[in-house]
Amino acid sequence: MPIGYYFAVSALMFATGLTGVLLRRNAIVLFMCVELMLNAVNLTFAGAARQWGGADGQVFVFFVIVVAAAEVVVGLALIVNVFFRRGTLDVDAPSLLRR
Amino acid sequence: MGLLATLAEGAATSGAEAVLFWVFAAIALGSAVAVVALRNVVHAALMLVLNLLSVAALYLGLQSSFLSIVQVIVYAGAIVVLFLFVIMLLGIDRDDLLGTRTPVRAVAAVVAGVALAGAFLTVVGADSLTAASACGQLAGDGAADAVTCVGLDEASQDSVGFVGMQLFTRWTFAFEAASLLLVVATLGALVLGRRRDPALEDDLVPSAPVPDEDDLADTAALVADDEDDLATADVRPAEDATATLEPAADRDAPDVSESDDTGRDA
Repeated sequence: MPIGYYFAVSALMFATGLTGVLLRRNAIVLFMCVELMLNAVNLTFAGAARQWGGADGQVFVFFVIVVAAAEVVVGLALIVNVFFRRGTLDVDAPSLLRR
Repeated sequence: MGLLATLAEGAATSGAEAVLFWVFAAIALGSAVAVVALRNVVHAALMLVLNLLSVAALYLGLQSSFLSIVQVIVYAGAIVVLFLFVIMLLGIDRDDLLGTRTPVRAVAAVVAGVALAGAFLTVVGADSLTAASACGQLAGDGAADAVTCVGLDEASQDSVGFVGMQLFTRWTFAFEAASLLLVVATLGALVLGRRRDPALEDDLVPSAPVPDEDDLADTAALVADDEDDLATADVRPAEDATATLEPAADRDAPDVSESDDTGRDA
């Protein structure tokens, strides 16, 4: 299977995730879309690792997964805090620093 | 792992990889669109699981069985479960009441996504869609400057050992930094999970602390008045015990750190 197909799938997945980030207002759905984008990048890394050999791509995917886990843990704790304080998950609601 | 390695190698060398790719690429893209489009948050999370599992299947086609396992364990097993846990905890599992933004912004978001996809596909180009994998082809020709597939045979045979060898020799410092990152994230979730919000405490324990002092004063007066009346004196410590138990149950709240440990195991 030529590697370009994997890159194309990954590009479409990344664009879908970006569309979701721009489109949705729910903070949890927004986080899921960020996960979609991270997965698209991971797929690119794994594809490049097979195309050009070496394990560095796979090791990088491993680290991306670790960082994604840490990000989700802290991000969901933040979302829970904001929800308890504001009563909403709207990402447009916490705008205290904007004015 | 042996079965998966055999499966991955067989899929990569035969036409089965094409079948694997087309089936799971379609599932991955369809579920990705569903994550964005579905209004119910729980359904979106389940579609995310489907997407992650199909990406794991694509990893198998890419001879990365270790990544496939890690994807299933960490992403589908820990991260999405954390998502679902928070969704259920906040009680937002009904339909999402937050509509999309104004239609102009929605159209603009879709246009931006399509434009980005077009830009990416232009960069990927039509050449790479037809070019064969550099791994098997050029290495077989025996050309001098052929792309040598360093370790890919080992990768398909023993993916865990191969990746682990790289991870603990060349990338040791990054590995240690990742473990430090996980510890910091765990502590951060603990700190964020502690709630010092007085309004919320009122919801859980309706006006517990303020009457307690008055009652204690009353109890002290009662005891001073009537030493034999032990019944009221016995009741008070029991209520105090429940009042102190509530924050203790609260302190269990940072459940997020639990699944973080799962992430570190993988």
